[in-house]
Amino acid sequence: MKPVVKEVKVRAIVLQGLTVLTLCAIADFISGSVFRAMIRHLELLPGLIVMIPPLVDLRGNIGSALGSRLGTALHTGIIEPRLKMTSELKVNMLSSIILSIIASATIAVMSFAVNIFVGVETIDVLSLIGIAVISGSIAGLIITFITVLIAIAAYRHGWDPDNVTGPVMTTIGDIVTITCVYLTVAALWC
Amino acid sequence: MRRIIKETYTIVVMCGAISLIAGVVLNLQIEKIIMVPTILLMIPPINDIGGNIGCIIGARLASALHMGTVEPKLKKQRVLRMNVNATMLMSLLMFLITSAALFSGLSVFNIGPSPLRLTLSFMLAGIFLTPIVVLCSVGLAFISFIKGWDPDNVVSPLITSIADVLGVICLLIAIKIIGV
Repeated sequence: MKPVVKEVKVRAIVLQGLTVLTLCAIADFISGSVFRAMIRHLELLPGLIVMIPPLVDLRGNIGSALGSRLGTALHTGIIEPRLKMTSELKVNMLSSIILSIIASATIAVMSFAVNIFVGVETIDVLSLIGIAVISGSIAGLIITFITVLIAIAAYRHGWDPDNVTGPVMTTIGDIVTITCVYLTVAALWC
Repeated sequence: MRRIIKETYTIVVMCGAISLIAGVVLNLQIEKIIMVPTILLMIPPINDIGGNIGCIIGARLASALHMGTVEPKLKKQRVLRMNVNATMLMSLLMFLITSAALFSGLSVFNIGPSPLRLTLSFMLAGIFLTPIVVLCSVGLAFISFIKGWDPDNVVSPLITSIADVLGVICLLIAIKIIGV
């Protein structure tokens, strides 16, 4: 009997995964729409587009790193599945926000260097750093809180954080990051 | 806290540097994108599917390598072939469903230039991207197993960034072939 049970479980996992991933891909059209709506700003601020894939990628990576650390901490009982600011939770959240800011600035500098190297027109390095750091800290703050909420909710409902939290966080991270970049640029640059 | 920041910083910046290539490729085609901004609409989903597919097969292979059901070589690998086939099927299925969603969205909101051509480009890009991402992920899983890297901390972020670059390139090539 055992292999049969196992097979059914595998099918359920695959089906669950496929559903979650497909829904996430469709939800990604929201980030796509914001990206598309940004076209005028991308035209006015040459070189900005270079920085967008790495910034989006960065937020996804920091979010999923935090998610998997929280998942482990929840499973081992270091963090309790309640919304209480324990010092362990604080350290995790704070490091994720600090990391978000430093890495955003690094990416802005790298983008500027690459633009110069490739020889494409670009806005100055301080503007790139400004856009990356301002949007990065706002997005980092929002995503950190959402990650904590989802990790705790997932744990309480008995979902595997690796199968659900990861893809869901990446999708939410994409939407929040692109929206924050758009709002930062629209409010402060042009 | 310093340890968490230090360890994560190196890998996220390294991955950022790879994703930067996707940005450079987009920037090289900026005139085309300004003419057809809907190209940007398709970038997040294609990169997301590519990254997720890469992560799934990467993680599965990492476990299989540790359990010994897959060896780090390409020939005579039944379990490997099953994993590759299942992942490719899953990816193509996801592209099919997402394309249907894209086509209805573009048609309903009347987003041009041609919803059909844009959707076909998206699907074609998916068909190009799927085997390439799977191949990269298999290679990365083998390398990380041999070198003893942690798949969760190294392989997943790397394959997501590689998928960003491949996704953008496949999409731009598909658009050129279909002619949007």
